[in-house]
Amino acid sequence: MNILVTVKNVVDVELNIQVKNGAIVQDGLQYVMNAWDENAVEATVVLKEDQGASTELVCIGDGTATVAIRKAFAMGIEGGLLIEDEAIKNVDSASYAKILQKVYEQGDYDLVITGKQSQDTDSGQTGILLAEFLGLPCVSNVVTIEAIDDKNLKVTRQADGNKEVIALQLPAVITVNDSINEPRLPALRGIMQAKKKKIKNLDLSDLGLSADDMAASKTKVLEYQAPQSRGAGQKFEGDAAEITSQVVNLLATEAKVF
Amino acid sequence: MAKVLVVADIKGGALKGSFAELVSTANDLGAEVAAVAVGAGVKALAADLATGTKTQYVADDASLEKLTAAALTAAVVDAATQFGADQVWFASTEAAKAAAPRIAAKLDAACVTDITDVQVDGSQVVILRPAVAGKVVEKVEVKADKVVAIVRAGAFDAKEGLVASENLVELSTPEADLRATIQEILTEAGGAVDLADAKIVVSCGRGAKNEEGVALLKGLAEDLNAGFGASRAMVDSGFMPHDSQVGQTGKVVAPSLYIACGISGAIQHLAGMNGSKVIVAINKDADAPIFDIADYGIVGDLFEIVPIMREEIKKVRS
Ligand SMILES: Cc1cc2nc3c(=O)[nH]c(=O)nc-3n(C[C@H](O)[C@H](O)[C@H](O)COP(=O)(O)OP(=O)(O)OC[C@H]3O[C@@H](n4cnc5c(N)ncnc54)[C@H](O)[C@@H]3O)c2cc1C
Ligand SMILES: Nc1ncnc2c1ncn2[C@@H]1O[C@H](COP(=O)(O)O)[C@@H](O)[C@H]1O
Repeated sequence: MNILVTVKNVVDVELNIQVKNGAIVQDGLQYVMNAWDENAVEATVVLKEDQGASTELVCIGDGTATVAIRKAFAMGIEGGLLIEDEAIKNVDSASYAKILQKVYEQGDYDLVITGKQSQDTDSGQTGILLAEFLGLPCVSNVVTIEAIDDKNLKVTRQADGNKEVIALQLPAVITVNDSINEPRLPALRGIMQAKKKKIKNLDLSDLGLSADDMAASKTKVLEYQAPQSRGAGQKFEGDAAEITSQVVNLLATEAKVF
Repeated sequence: MAKVLVVADIKGGALKGSFAELVSTANDLGAEVAAVAVGAGVKALAADLATGTKTQYVADDASLEKLTAAALTAAVVDAATQFGADQVWFASTEAAKAAAPRIAAKLDAACVTDITDVQVDGSQVVILRPAVAGKVVEKVEVKADKVVAIVRAGAFDAKEGLVASENLVELSTPEADLRATIQEILTEAGGAVDLADAKIVVSCGRGAKNEEGVALLKGLAEDLNAGFGASRAMVDSGFMPHDSQVGQTGKVVAPSLYIACGISGAIQHLAGMNGSKVIVAINKDADAPIFDIADYGIVGDLFEIVPIMREEIKKVRS
């Protein structure tokens, strides 16, 4: 089984993020592997260990993505492609999916595993669109993967109020939820080996795409705004009975919620 | 005039509250509005679907009991094509998240998820949506002729006085995609009140510690007829069902009152509840980040506070 896993390099959402003049202030931002892609990498490495799957990652990004790519190597991914091009700017999930489609078509893969969502865009579409463009079946929001044989998986997806157990024929695309696994911390040996691994660099023309294909993106972020801040309200400390009674009364009289 | 197709969110054989919110807002935009419902037995909802809509498309068949994303996609694409929809709107559910991008690809439309506002100016459509775990708001221009959108919970309001005009159109039953078939549905024990529709949500974090803590908070939720949510920590440890998780990976809720108990306030949790009207936090750590967004913060041990709170609520309510 040949697996292609997608890894996106995203801004670290735990850090302070500010907006100025319609743009995100770039100063002081740090980049990390998208959290859900850590789950995708872990799921891929488990299939390598259990099924002898071959594993390759693809990342569409720039030089700052090398850290994320090396981390995926250190976790156990064997090969890596970095797609970098000036023309890939302010594009939507559909454009990323279009690039991934070309990557898939140039290779020989049975399964693509993506994260369910990017932490920076919170879009949640790329893997599903990729499957549509390729005409492949797709199961999104997957929480368990079981290989039946080389051509069939049994996967469970988190649905609305229940989980669905799905028989999935390969080739296929799956997108993973973070509850699927606990991504491993790379061991020192893996980290050392990862440093020596070659990353294969490609640009749009290598994939038969052009800047025009990216300009055809169906959505465009016009500007970023700061969210309405809620601000802290009142904080009550002291005698439990007293402060609780005070808050409940305020909820009734001031907030009028009961 | 824009044509908006609203996809009905149906649970337990009934239309969810989000349907009226989406239909109201589409009418406010001056759009011509149609509804589409897909599933087993959905025809029974024809009258409800007609409120605020001119046409109701239904795909009703026993085979749609186990509804795959592929089947939902096929039916909605069929309805959107017959109606000539410029926009297809979903309420935010896992089914919607799985189907919306597929529908967009098939209609050659743009797809925008988690939207909080949509402005239509002639042929220009501009959408607002949070991104980066809620740390920014994106203003997105739709450059395609059509758009498929998923609306964030609590973003739109339902209004009274919508006119109903029944005009039922039956869709053919989509063929199953045999490459991905649902073999089994594992139901989870959900709370008595659905989180999506709850006016009040009581949410349980790691501070609840054990079954005793969960039972205590569940009692509070029952007293208030509230939905019972959880942080990921409580879901991961198996104390709370997956479906109760509130946050970036879980559900987005926007009730009138959200009571966060023993929840630290990680950014991924806030992303799912910071649109609530009033937020109460109970946490024994006075520096917990949840207090930065709480309207009323109670610093204390929830095992001590919650029993008192239940008594006090009984008092003010009687
Ligand atoms: C990709 C990704 C997605 C995620 N998605 C989600 C999501 O959807 N939803 C979500 O919730 N999290 C999500 N998380 C996890 C999130 O980062 C936090 O780990 C999680 O929200 C913490 O849960 P908690 O607040 O219950 O636990 P903790 O952070 O451990 O906080 C427990 C709190 O309880 C307080 N406490 C302890 N004892 C008591 C007591 N007796 N009385 C009162 N207070 C007490 C403590 O002071 C502390 O503040 C996600 C993380 C990642 C990386
Ligand atoms: N630029 C990218 N490079 C590699 N993978 C990506 C990229 N963008 C999106 N993906 C993958 O698609 C998933 C969903 O992304 P999104 O549609 O942006 O939420 C992510 O978790 C990644 O696995």
